Amino acid sequence: MILLQSPSRFLLQILQDRVLSGDKGVDIDCHTVEFDDVRYHIQFSMRNPKVMVLSVALPLPPPEAMLYDGLPLGAIEAIKAAYGPVVQILDPPKDGFDLTMKINLTKLPPDEEQRNSVLTQIASVREVVLGAPLKLLLKHLASKTVAPNVDKLVALVHRPNESFFVAPQADKVTVVYPMRFQDSIDIVLATSFLQEFVEARRTSALNNAPSCLWSPVPPLELKGVPSDALNANAVVFPRHVEGKKLDKTVWSLLTFHAYVSYHVKCSEGFMHTRMRRRVETLIQALDRAKSDAEKLKKLVNGGSFKRLSLKNDGN
Amino acid sequence: MDAASRPAVVIDNGTGYTKMGFAGNVEPCFITPTVVAVNDTFAGQTRANTTKGNWMAQHSAGVMADLDFFIGEDALACSRSSNTYSLSYPIHNGQVENWDTMERFWQQCIFNYLRCDPEDHYFLLTESPLTPPETREYTGEIMFETFNVPGLYIACQPVLALAAGYTTTKCEMTGVVVDVGDGATHIVPVADGYVIGSSIRSIPITGKDVTQFIQQLSKMSLILHYCGSMPLGVQMSIITAQGNQRFLKITATNNEREKMHETEERGEHIPPEESFDVARRVKEMYCYTCSDIVKEFNKHDREPNKYIKHWSGIKPKTGAKYTCDIGYERFLGPEIFFHPEIYNNDFTTPLHVVIDKCIQSSPIDTRRALYKNIVLSGGSTMFKDFHRRLQRDLKKIVDARVLASNARLGGDAKAQPIEVNVVSHPIQRYAVWFGGSVLASTAEFYEACHTKAEYEEYGASICRTNPVFKGMY
Repeated sequence: MILLQSPSRFLLQILQDRVLSGDKGVDIDCHTVEFDDVRYHIQFSMRNPKVMVLSVALPLPPPEAMLYDGLPLGAIEAIKAAYGPVVQILDPPKDGFDLTMKINLTKLPPDEEQRNSVLTQIASVREVVLGAPLKLLLKHLASKTVAPNVDKLVALVHRPNESFFVAPQADKVTVVYPMRFQDSIDIVLATSFLQEFVEARRTSALNNAPSCLWSPVPPLELKGVPSDALNANAVVFPRHVEGKKLDKTVWSLLTFHAYVSYHVKCSEGFMHTRMRRRVETLIQALDRAKSDAEKLKKLVNGGSFKRLSLKNDGN
Repeated sequence: MDAASRPAVVIDNGTGYTKMGFAGNVEPCFITPTVVAVNDTFAGQTRANTTKGNWMAQHSAGVMADLDFFIGEDALACSRSSNTYSLSYPIHNGQVENWDTMERFWQQCIFNYLRCDPEDHYFLLTESPLTPPETREYTGEIMFETFNVPGLYIACQPVLALAAGYTTTKCEMTGVVVDVGDGATHIVPVADGYVIGSSIRSIPITGKDVTQFIQQLSKMSLILHYCGSMPLGVQMSIITAQGNQRFLKITATNNEREKMHETEERGEHIPPEESFDVARRVKEMYCYTCSDIVKEFNKHDREPNKYIKHWSGIKPKTGAKYTCDIGYERFLGPEIFFHPEIYNNDFTTPLHVVIDKCIQSSPIDTRRALYKNIVLSGGSTMFKDFHRRLQRDLKKIVDARVLASNARLGGDAKAQPIEVNVVSHPIQRYAVWFGGSVLASTAEFYEACHTKAEYEEYGASICRTNPVFKGMY
């Protein structure tokens, strides 16, 4: 509810429908878009009802982010590792997309639980592809080494024409997010939201959480990178990426910007609810304060039968 | 990348189901019940408990409760399993009643279902033809203020349903839209894309009434044992309630004889809390329209094995299995559109008569075109053969009128026969959504939208009017 889920609900729904529907197949050809301009193109054909062709387009990379064949570092390996024989990568990808995969649903494991977990994995293709380089860096952090031939500062794409920066070190990784908001109200809300993040970190319950900070000026790590935005940064320690925590950490770091903007919208909606309630109570108070004569007058203007009464001719 | 280069988001909020997806697709991404499960354990308490000292804790618990909600199928599931949530249906009879839950519903639609950033997409929302301007303003306010959408278009549902029939060969924007949804039934004549506002009819029989009727049929232990030897002149069956008992009264017109069928305890064991839901699913799965109600009774009695379906489920409380038979309600459910008197004593005008009246009240030069293109939309027109039945009944009225006028004129002038055509699509259930998808994928759509800049300049009043009502009529 409060966190954005990693698998795409729509992809998962289509996959599950198709697996459960038996052999009869209909043509499906649809496009969807997710936040940060990740586009999907899903195709099923009548002839091969159990083969899905999924094309993914990633956000337009900014110049500082490094891509290999249009994909982030290590993405191909990550796909192969995550899906195994179910998925076959088509090369070259479809026009206008960065990655095209052929998913053979007949090769899914027969056990229901395993099958569902593979389907969920496929639906979270976004995490697998975009998160691949980050995962690589964090894996090195887990073993407390620095990956060879990695720069001091790595730029990773997470939004169209925007990237976030990772400064890997042996014992910690600093992640910096430059954030730009269009609306002036959004900037204020986002600022207080980030401040709230910093405050919440100080409470005893969250002692082990990654420490985070924000400032309107870029931190030292970002020297030389032009920046005109709010900068939030988080420091990730090895304890955050041990074992199963790794995937969750990768996803949370990857979607931090979306998370903040989601909550900015939520809080706006929440404030509206409060304002509406307040107005309602005020109107009630005003109604109570009205004198009887006023109420009667309204009735007369409204054309009620009171007008015909002989006793009220004064109105 | 500019917002206009991304596909627009199309959300059709119906009383029963919300259809949402991206423009340019054939099907909506999600069709989910329009319902929000709210945690209201703290509602109204924050203020009352201010004296108790731990105000801050109370307050933040209230805030957390405000954030704790689910929509759609998740909402139904969690209200079934836990008592802390109560269901809230934000839309009643096609009109938004509860803006708080509506706003939350939209929020979840956008962020959790479609997973898009509302700042990146234009939005197309729909409204029923009888929406007051204030509602439109309110919708605009929420969309622009809360979600910061770059552009918004509020479309009229029947116009979209007509646009759904839009094909490359013909582009017919004149027709009558019979929109039978879960919460509202409207009959809306549209001429050249403009709604003829004065001729809109709405009737109080909706999809929800079909469900309720089916629920009554199974719950009120009514048995419709039809005696095989009824004379063929039987025309009507009326169910009357007498005290706690219900009777099926069948009037034979040939000899004014009345037959009363005693009710009998029908051993259906649907748990009461499930019965509405079961009735809804029975309606969606098994109901169909019959051509003649008496013949259909006969058919069912002759071959009960072929016609009677079985429903089995599990009681949520005890976990015990139960089964029930689905008999006459299969065709009696949809029949309330054609014989409303069997359901409701206050409203007895059948659907086809209302459609005829609606067309007769339209400008005379549009009537022929209107009869020619009667478009069905909404989930409750999905019953098998619904369009055939409607076309036949309507044709009867029209032909009778033509004959009468010919007889009156005495052969001097002969009226040309009027073509009556009820159009049914395979996509009727989400025709409105599909029409929206077609409309929002044209280049003109982006010009017709209210933009964020306009909103900031003039305020919510830009959404006040809908141009489709500004036609020549």
